[in-house]
Amino acid sequence: MAIFSEADRDSLHVRQADEAFCVGPGPAARSYLNIPNIISTALITGCDAVHPGYGFLAENARFAEICGDHALTFIGPEPRVIAMMGDKATAKRVVREAGVATTPGSDVLSSLEAARQAARSIGYPLLLKATAGGGGKGMRAVAEESELERAYAGATAEAEASFKDGRVYIERLVRSPRHVEVQVLGDRFGNIVHLGERDCSVQKPTHQKLIEETPAPHLAAPVREALHEMAVRACRAVGYTNAGTLEFLVAGDEVYFMEMNTRIQVEHPVTEMVYNIDLVKEQIRIAAGEPLGYEQKDLAARGHAIECRLNAEDPRANFAPAAGTVSKIVFPGGPGIRVDTHLYAGATIPPYYDSMIAKVVAFGGTRDVAIARMERALRETLVEGVSTTRDLCLEILATPEFREGRYDIEFLPRRLNSLVQAGSASR
Amino acid sequence: MSERPSAIAARVHALAQFLSAGDALRVRIERRGETIELSRRPSGAPARTSGGLASGDAASRRLDTIKSDLVGIFRFGRPAPLEGDAIESDRELGYVEALGIRTPVHSMGGGRIVTVAAADGEPVEYGQPLFVIARG
Repeated sequence: MAIFSEADRDSLHVRQADEAFCVGPGPAARSYLNIPNIISTALITGCDAVHPGYGFLAENARFAEICGDHALTFIGPEPRVIAMMGDKATAKRVVREAGVATTPGSDVLSSLEAARQAARSIGYPLLLKATAGGGGKGMRAVAEESELERAYAGATAEAEASFKDGRVYIERLVRSPRHVEVQVLGDRFGNIVHLGERDCSVQKPTHQKLIEETPAPHLAAPVREALHEMAVRACRAVGYTNAGTLEFLVAGDEVYFMEMNTRIQVEHPVTEMVYNIDLVKEQIRIAAGEPLGYEQKDLAARGHAIECRLNAEDPRANFAPAAGTVSKIVFPGGPGIRVDTHLYAGATIPPYYDSMIAKVVAFGGTRDVAIARMERALRETLVEGVSTTRDLCLEILATPEFREGRYDIEFLPRRLNSLVQAGSASR
Repeated sequence: MSERPSAIAARVHALAQFLSAGDALRVRIERRGETIELSRRPSGAPARTSGGLASGDAASRRLDTIKSDLVGIFRFGRPAPLEGDAIESDRELGYVEALGIRTPVHSMGGGRIVTVAAADGEPVEYGQPLFVIARG
């Protein structure tokens, strides 16, 4: 059973579902965030469980609780754990108590004045982050105190609009870090495993990820092992179940826990390709009460995988969303290529939601092979009718920084103008 | 799987608008064993169709579709609304029950019920047509 808004009536997931129910009009607040309509849909159609996907209600503890109140299995962690780890500021405190290093920061801020005082204590530059946030939403970098008021207003407003929770907190801005995250799975019997790390440092200036890969290149073995060990330790400390991702900032040998996303991530396909495990299937099995059936020693990563997000955006116009009708579309295939998308020729991209329209994933026995396959796949990708980030992804893949695997989260913001111009000139 | 009444109502609505916009007096669609026929008289009383759906009303008056604002189970009001019923003013035609709460469905004014598009006890989605009412 698929749910959809009126704006997504013709979406591919609706066409392919056994059954589909409209839960509201285009604006997410009245459809994909409409808890009564979503719960009612599940009940009147005889559903047993609800998979929240990512975004919208995926990390809403209250929604998970309401599912349970109506005898619906929420495919994800327990509401208690979502509330604890989904609240970014609380999660940092909890993992710190479990002995995991965290970025210096504040608790949830109650006002602009509280933000000012916390900022003076933590020091500039800093990041304002939405405590219910994800996907770069509700996040603002602040270089000095004169920028704080405007950044606070922007972050809280965006957080409220995106997550129905406008609370923010402060973190010290770590210079030139890498964003490295660890995938975990936990069942209801206390078994917890990690499925390696992903490097997600190629991010737009808004901190939204654009390219992700696994394994993280040029990560010292002790640092990699420490990341895995800390992720599992933090999960054991809270009794975590189902799929989740712990995000860290890595600067040299220093590692800081940033936040945990208590859901499946957009970039989960790269992990699936390298570990040959269907993570969404594991989510459903765990929610159904099945044990993992394997231990850490049974898991082995092989090869390398990269994901490029195709967004309906114009990088030349500060990534302005490009809603409209896709007149023609061709997606790549061949060895090691996977494409996750809801798009087809003639489909209309509505203006209400995130601009991602497809994920192109390339797997190879080595990182060089994965890069080569991704470049070929992107060149074969054709989307007409809207601007996309395809050309920008190709330019990024061709840079020495990416080729050598020596990039951090400031790489793309620093090189963006030259890369966009190069993309426009060559294609 | 049989087609939802809402889909049938939508087609009737479209045919009625087509009929009222032109000079045709009668239109008949036969499709997959189903027949919908609408006709209008150049003058005089409206005629009922072979499908039991009022047509002359529809041809000469504005049609409003009352849709569900939420997801739930649709229930008729008492007395049950019937096609052809005249409504003098705003009237509660039924309700949608969701999570134990009944949300009334109103006619939003007077007119005549052209189509009852959902069945009593039918699960309805957001935006699903429940009634087609001819105004005027």
